[in-house]
Amino acid sequence: MFTHSIRWRLQLWLAFLLVCVLSGFGLTVYQLQRITQLNQLDEALKRRVAALNLTVRGGPMMEFFRRSDTDKGPGPRDFPSGGFNSGSRERPYGPPHGPGFMPGEKREVRLSPETAALFSGSQPGAFYFSVWSRDSNLLARAAGGPTNVSLPPGMGRDTSLHAGIRGKNREAYQFTELGDCILVGRSLIPDWDAESRLAWMLLAAGGGVLALGLSGGWLLTTRAIRPVEEISAAASRISAGNLSERITTSEPNNELGRLAGILNNTFSRLETVFNQQKQFTADAAHELRTPIAVLISEAQVMLSRERTPSEYKESLETCLDTAQQLRRLTDSLLELARTESNQFDSDRSRVDVSEVARDCVERLKPLAAERNVVLKTELNPGEVIINSDRLVQILINLLSNGIHYNKPGGEVLVKTVNETGKISIIVQDTGIGIPEEDLPRIFDRFYRADKSRSRAEGRAGLGLAICKAIVEAEGGELSVESKLNVGTTFKVLFPGAAPRARNIQVAP
Amino acid sequence: MRILIVEDEPRLLRNLARALREEEYAVDTAERGDEGIFKAESCNYDAIVLDVMLPGMDGWQFLTRLRKTKQTPVLMLTARDAPPDRVRGLDTGADDYLVKPFDLAELLARIRSIIRRASGNANPCLELGDVMIDPRARSVTFAGDAVTLTAREYSILEYLALQRGHVVTRTELYEHLFDENEDTLSNLLDVHIFSIRKKIRPDIIKTRRGDGYYIEE
Repeated sequence: MFTHSIRWRLQLWLAFLLVCVLSGFGLTVYQLQRITQLNQLDEALKRRVAALNLTVRGGPMMEFFRRSDTDKGPGPRDFPSGGFNSGSRERPYGPPHGPGFMPGEKREVRLSPETAALFSGSQPGAFYFSVWSRDSNLLARAAGGPTNVSLPPGMGRDTSLHAGIRGKNREAYQFTELGDCILVGRSLIPDWDAESRLAWMLLAAGGGVLALGLSGGWLLTTRAIRPVEEISAAASRISAGNLSERITTSEPNNELGRLAGILNNTFSRLETVFNQQKQFTADAAHELRTPIAVLISEAQVMLSRERTPSEYKESLETCLDTAQQLRRLTDSLLELARTESNQFDSDRSRVDVSEVARDCVERLKPLAAERNVVLKTELNPGEVIINSDRLVQILINLLSNGIHYNKPGGEVLVKTVNETGKISIIVQDTGIGIPEEDLPRIFDRFYRADKSRSRAEGRAGLGLAICKAIVEAEGGELSVESKLNVGTTFKVLFPGAAPRARNIQVAP
Repeated sequence: MRILIVEDEPRLLRNLARALREEEYAVDTAERGDEGIFKAESCNYDAIVLDVMLPGMDGWQFLTRLRKTKQTPVLMLTARDAPPDRVRGLDTGADDYLVKPFDLAELLARIRSIIRRASGNANPCLELGDVMIDPRARSVTFAGDAVTLTAREYSILEYLALQRGHVVTRTELYEHLFDENEDTLSNLLDVHIFSIRKKIRPDIIKTRRGDGYYIEE
């Protein structure tokens, strides 16, 4: 559904806003124009009513309409004979309510050329007028005007000017003090025509602006969305399995460029983790399958023919050794998996590292003696908050490594140092050392610097990986320094426990 | 038949060597890749069983280097079973690929198969007119009757049969029949040949004076 696309939604919103703004603007313009026009028309009607009023009342502008008028003005000629003649008497209006005024009196309204000019022009845009006497006799009316103009209802002695729409005409009328009624009107058709022309123009202009706005908006959203589409395309290629794919961005400094950078970093880390996991699985498969292969093959060879009891014994010993190796390996793998997923219950307590180190050294003395390696200690008390079993495990691992990879007659020194609130445990051997190129990888799972040697001793290459995992899970750091044929130093650094008096609640 | 096993797990290596020796192969062993390639380049083995993950030089490097000088059939033996690994092994020049843990009978069959194919034989049995050699059972029949040969006599006959049409020197026979730990007197070979001729027929193996022995095509 296209409404799910951001681009379409933006486009719809843009269209909606544009239509709102444009129609609001258009309606306002239309309305203003209409009102202005009507006001102008009313003004014109008012002027004409006033002029006629003067004429009818015989004001200073009053003139009598003369049929024989030779004036070249347009006015008189536009009033054909009889047009305004409702009577034959040439007599100006008297003053209001003055003597001589009689109902039914036949009067003649004559327009001055200036006034007549106001009613020139042909239909339908021309003004027309009608004048009625007090007794509703039509005194005069415009020649071209509509014939069906009726006398507006009188409203007592109201002599103010009224305006209104009757039919298709706008009319203004006024009663004089004498009761005569003067009505001026004009057809509204030309105004309506103009209004509809204006409406069409506004519609056309609005449509044009809308089209321009929408296409501009489309271009803008396309430009804005292109990087997003690039990102999503790259991301889908990556999720399809191509982990080495990266998002290429032309503008690395804008918001989307930064997002692409962040995503690329994430993808790199994912790829690294994924590759490590793949390597781990392959290594684990290798390490697990090899002893199984030994077991199966050994059993099959032994069963292929009759053997002597000593051969069977030897074979069973091989099988037992192999099974033990397999057990150690699975234990280590499970241990590692648990540590890495933080599944072990971290039963932490306040532990003095020097005491733990002393215990561990005692436990490994037999192994050291067997290998002709001397264990030395330089222990300073220092307390950390840690799971003590885990600490023992770390130390046993590091110590047995130091003993295993030592030279006959060599030594392993265990130091605990308490300084500036940090406790370090240092295990230093005078062994064979680790080649520089292997140093960055020795904490990798299954990584063995000297493969043949360690394999022969049944070491799978998980010890240091487990150590590192535990140290990090307990909030410490494990680092290594080594020099080939001189020795290796492992350093475990833990934040020290706060002084006992102030921090009782930490160690329940 | 002389076989080199390169495998870094010492127990597996010992076990495989024992199994192959019991099948009357002459077996050399190496625990490291670099040691293995040295042996493989200095001696003409009939087959090499090669582990992939090796110290010194891994199986792929081993194969790449070996293929520059030798066409020795190689059976790769590894715990890596992902298809890309197998494809890589075969593409690098391995003749077959077996995933650990393997079945011993299958390993032996595959070794027989790569040796047979390397000598240009697809047929598991070798026919020399009325003499039939069956490597699977290590048995020989002559005109339908079973012939009882000692293990060493059988090995000599099988090797010459695989190389039939070519003269095989005494040195070559020694190289393929005895492993690096054996020390045999040279005239012992003549005794074995004499015995084979006596048990089957005198003209089965011919002698080219000063060169060696051959079986006619």
